[in-house]
Amino acid sequence: MTILEERPQLPFEAHEPSLMEIVPGPRPRGIVKFVTSTDHKQIGLNYLFTALTGFLLAGLMALVMRTQLIVPNNHFVTENVYNEMFTIHGTIMLFVFAGPFAFAGFGNYMIPLMIGAPDMAFPRFNNLSYWLYLGGFSLLLAGFLTNNGAAQFGWFGYAPLTEAIHSPGPGADLWIVGIGLTGLSGIFTAVNIITTVFTLRAPGMVMFRMPIFVWNILVTMFLILLAFPVLTAAMALLWIDRHLGGGFYDASKGGQPILWQNLFWFFGHPEVYIIAVPYFGVATEIISTMSRKPVFGYKGMIAATLSIGALSMGVWAHHMYTTGAVLLPFFAAMSLLIAVPTGIKFFNWIGTMWRGTIVLNTAMLFCLGFLAIFLFGGITGVILAQPVLDFQVHNTYFVVAHFHYVLIGAVMAGFGGLYYWLPKMTGRKLSEKWGKLGFALLFIGFNLTFFPQHDLGLRGMPRRIETYNAGMGWNFLNELSSIGAYITALGVLVNVWNIFTSWRNGEIAGDNPWDGQTLEWACSSPPPDHNFEALPPIRSERPVWDANHPDMLTKVGH
Amino acid sequence: MHPLTGLLATNFGSPSGVTTQDHYVRELWRLSGYFSVPIGLIVLGLITFAIVRYRHRPGEDRKPSQFQYHIPLEATYTIIPLVIVAVIFGVMYNAENHVTKVSAKPSVAITVDGFQWGWRFVYHNGHVQIGTGDYNDINNNNDLPVLVMPSNETVQLHVVSLDVVHTFYVKEFLFNRDLIPGINNTFDVNVTKPGLYPGQCNNICGEYHAYMRFLVDVMTPTQYAAWYANQPACSVTTAGVPGTQKGSCSAINAGADFTGYTQAPKG
Repeated sequence: MTILEERPQLPFEAHEPSLMEIVPGPRPRGIVKFVTSTDHKQIGLNYLFTALTGFLLAGLMALVMRTQLIVPNNHFVTENVYNEMFTIHGTIMLFVFAGPFAFAGFGNYMIPLMIGAPDMAFPRFNNLSYWLYLGGFSLLLAGFLTNNGAAQFGWFGYAPLTEAIHSPGPGADLWIVGIGLTGLSGIFTAVNIITTVFTLRAPGMVMFRMPIFVWNILVTMFLILLAFPVLTAAMALLWIDRHLGGGFYDASKGGQPILWQNLFWFFGHPEVYIIAVPYFGVATEIISTMSRKPVFGYKGMIAATLSIGALSMGVWAHHMYTTGAVLLPFFAAMSLLIAVPTGIKFFNWIGTMWRGTIVLNTAMLFCLGFLAIFLFGGITGVILAQPVLDFQVHNTYFVVAHFHYVLIGAVMAGFGGLYYWLPKMTGRKLSEKWGKLGFALLFIGFNLTFFPQHDLGLRGMPRRIETYNAGMGWNFLNELSSIGAYITALGVLVNVWNIFTSWRNGEIAGDNPWDGQTLEWACSSPPPDHNFEALPPIRSERPVWDANHPDMLTKVGH
Repeated sequence: MHPLTGLLATNFGSPSGVTTQDHYVRELWRLSGYFSVPIGLIVLGLITFAIVRYRHRPGEDRKPSQFQYHIPLEATYTIIPLVIVAVIFGVMYNAENHVTKVSAKPSVAITVDGFQWGWRFVYHNGHVQIGTGDYNDINNNNDLPVLVMPSNETVQLHVVSLDVVHTFYVKEFLFNRDLIPGINNTFDVNVTKPGLYPGQCNNICGEYHAYMRFLVDVMTPTQYAAWYANQPACSVTTAGVPGTQKGSCSAINAGADFTGYTQAPKG
């Protein structure tokens, strides 16, 4: 109270202060802007395009693998090259593409806009995060330039295969440091986004008026803070093992190889949700906007996200059922329980579409693709959560199919996010014609690639084998899967082509091309420096909709 | 067969196993299928209905409904899945106890050693079954080590890694178990159907992971007894060819049985 009373009177008549500070003079452009900018939008774009580059490179590695497996007893690549391919494919897809694309790319760009903030809480720190991330990405790739090649032990690098005696050479070290750097970058981004969300919300933007996307990223960031430091520690111990004879994971020196598995999956399972939860948020935003309705069960949706986050910290050992060294019933119960909040989300998405007017554009099609694919991945997840069934299909192609349904399901929502938000970022819409073709190719190609892999797994094909015996009954299914991979690649190329041509020649989007509901649609496309000249009143979780459609406010009660 | 019974008897694509464990695995596949197939169809059906019925048609002037909450509905689709999960867990828990049970008095106990990149099966009398390590031709099954065991008896396998993490996996057993340095892993199998089954390492273990295969030869108990009586103590059978080295337990302890491989296990 006293502080307010002591404030001096303004010497001039108060008028509405501008939210934006205009700094005159030329702006840095091109490479200088890319390197020096602390603007959350520029950094967000940096992340998005670096992640997409990772996606294309890792996708290329997948094509090498699928070509190697298209016929039995194939010698397209050597064993070591094949092992490098799946190791770096998995590592880049998880650490460089799938996670950062959503939480750092869309997150950076959209969170300040969605909560009505001028930038992130720590803009320079944000810039540092990006450069650590790019550094980590480069080191992962640099492994290919070393004389022993890149890491060859799979993306979860089980000790003691990762020890110096079994994996000599700098490729494995570059893998360790590369993951360490992307992990640090993730931790820094988490600190930044949590601070931004807690301190920079616009007046009226209380927690329960934040868009679901912001909520989901917030939960993801807490998961990062819990999980990534453990990964960094595990990597540090591994480095000490390799170079200083630490023996942490070496049974002959009194260490425990199983310790690595516990540490890695303590990070690794939350990581799955660190990847998926932001995409749930993207899908929620798109479904709600394209159905022109509020998110059905908004608070239930948040509760579901929070419980997914909480449960995901207690399920890591379901990756280790077959080790014979974990408490099976506990981890089975926790893993099965995650199906419940995930199911709630599905029904909320359906409720959001119910009695709306659904616009079936490319962004929405990608979300529907996400729903279909993720649903199937969720069902096979319930099967794998049961130790007795996991004993049967553990580490087979059934598991490969399962997690690609989960992860590429999520990535489908990410592509939807590009079609939804790139108009805001570039000012131009993407071509619907190319977009629908790209979606169709991706959806068909993806299912053709991964659906047969369920059966391959049930027929006993282990993952990560470089070649297989012709008499196992796996030949036809592998052929189908490889053809599907080529179709998927074509779909990816069509979408990338669409992004680059529409960037220059697309239809002008305007501020609010989709009749959006959340705050990012209140500023120009692309938004100016420091984002907002004025904000609409924030009285619900969809202030822009309320301002544009005063006759269609959310119905209170049920 | 009644069509409904036929439908309910589906294994949802899972192959048949040849062990006593098969019963429990099948039961769980069916239970999971009975719940998840209808739920999956309902969800897909609702989504399809929504996008067909409520899609925006050009020139149409229908206002979207703006409802947001329906607490009884939300509670329903929270509680029903909780109950389903509890039921699945209960049945699974029972099955798990049967599957992971380790007998105190197995009929036969065999030690399974995994190494880069092959298998060694050591019997009670010191007899060793091992392969030759052909990493050139994946279609060659004549270099593989053979795990010989009797049917209809409890066989206890003690799996040991000599270097990195491997996984013992036989598709027809519907079972995987890891070989991890520092961990003692033992499990029982009771095969009900004699035959020859392929097995393979199921955890990436280095360059020739794909070639780390073996065969399981399940004999009737009488055949097995005759076979076992024919194996002298500390003899070595390499890829099905018996007696390459006979009677020297100290030579085996010194790693002489690894001669087919480029190097003895390190680590």
